[in-house]
Amino acid sequence: MSRDFIEIAAVTDAGSVRQFNEDSIVTDPEIGVAILADGMGGHRAGEVASHMATQIIMSGLQTQVAELRSAVAQHPPLRAVEESIIRANRAIFDAAQGQPTYHGMGTTLALTLFFDNRVVLGHIGDSRIYRLRQNVLRLLTSDDSLLRDQIELGFISLADAGDSHNRSLVTRALGIEQSVSAHLREDEAYPDDIYLVCSDGLNDLVEDADIALIINALKANLPLAVNHLVQAAKDNGGYDNVSVILAKVLKPFPAASHKGWFSRLYDWLGLSAG
Amino acid sequence: MAKLVLSSGGSILYQCFVDKERLSVGRASHNHVVIDDPAVSEQHAVIISVGNDHILQNLQSVNATLLNGSRVVRQILQHGDVMQFGAFYLRYLNPKIADSDLDRTVLISGLQKRGDAAQHPSGPPGHQVRMPAARLANIRFPKGRVRVITGSRAGHTITLDRVVATFGKPGKGLAVVARRPQGYFITHVEGRRHPRVNRQSIGAETHPLRNGDVIDVADESLEFLLDS
Repeated sequence: MSRDFIEIAAVTDAGSVRQFNEDSIVTDPEIGVAILADGMGGHRAGEVASHMATQIIMSGLQTQVAELRSAVAQHPPLRAVEESIIRANRAIFDAAQGQPTYHGMGTTLALTLFFDNRVVLGHIGDSRIYRLRQNVLRLLTSDDSLLRDQIELGFISLADAGDSHNRSLVTRALGIEQSVSAHLREDEAYPDDIYLVCSDGLNDLVEDADIALIINALKANLPLAVNHLVQAAKDNGGYDNVSVILAKVLKPFPAASHKGWFSRLYDWLGLSAG
Repeated sequence: MAKLVLSSGGSILYQCFVDKERLSVGRASHNHVVIDDPAVSEQHAVIISVGNDHILQNLQSVNATLLNGSRVVRQILQHGDVMQFGAFYLRYLNPKIADSDLDRTVLISGLQKRGDAAQHPSGPPGHQVRMPAARLANIRFPKGRVRVITGSRAGHTITLDRVVATFGKPGKGLAVVARRPQGYFITHVEGRRHPRVNRQSIGAETHPLRNGDVIDVADESLEFLLDS
């Protein structure tokens, strides 16, 4: 697979109000991975949790993608993502148990793994993944948040949700308990699709219609697009950390080989595996 | 913790904290906040706590519940809101929300979804509920527009009332004008030709726009106008 099947631009910013940035982002276009985490916990433990999440999952996926590409691994990419998330959850949980100042720390998570013309989407908490396809922006994740529960249960109306004080209360996070169940799904990925991975500091402050407008207008220049998205969040108050990743599919990216070692041995011998 | 202050005729009669999941207001003596006024129903309204929110819910239709002077059925309370029951005023105070850090991400346990939540099919996630962005407080954006001087749209005026607007042609020369609280700014997006402002190329830098500036991008010439 060539190096440039996907283009990624990413930026994280403390926002206009906060002193610290508890968000963490890591991307690797070479293996088609973008990871975002929005940490929580006192004494800046949120920063520790979000950085642990992005680093551990990225290093796990680097190994796993190499295995998938060489066809050593036979399990699906979704399983690779799940394993890496489980490992990160365990590490954050253990660190929180072992260090009083880290007690209760956790993090949201949103990630994409592009492999074999498909994308694996994983998320926990209120960080989001959107997709822009043919100029239409669509939210692909469902927040684990109290506000969403309130709306679904009819406690408050959608029209009133903008006034809620519950915007940042998440109902599920990485590293809080011994085990975690992440939302995982797989989707077809087509050339020109643009995936947006963001923390709530973006979508809480910028309406979806404006997010769509900015990405559509600036899709030829992804670094400029991420900067304008962050700028819009800050101009609208910017009271939270804001992180934005845009990943654009440049061309089809079929896996080099779906074959196992046995059929490759046949190929090498010049025989047909049938 | 949020607080309620009951007053009538300018004097404070009663105060209490909103420390219950469901706090009742009415004329009957079993209510948490008892209001002895014939215009108030026995069970008139409740204040429901959900996370950091307190939601005012009117219980019946005979006697209205007024919030800041308007009739409401159900409404999220904001710091300083005044509810009116007959001749009595109930003020909602939540200073913690007024000036704190509630926007920090915090984990809490989710709401128990009962059987009736089944009527919200889970389907593909994210499609049934569109969560709106937070209400914006006190942010004023300038009002600007561009008048097309030359080009296929000559004579047209385009209002710059969105967060961004692009001008020019993709591939050839495309520029973006961003609307920000401090004014409008133009930046080159793509193409070999960079936009010019008052005959000067802006290069790769973001350039602030002033009233009367002339912008050349691709084949169009535009005049930027800022309403004062």
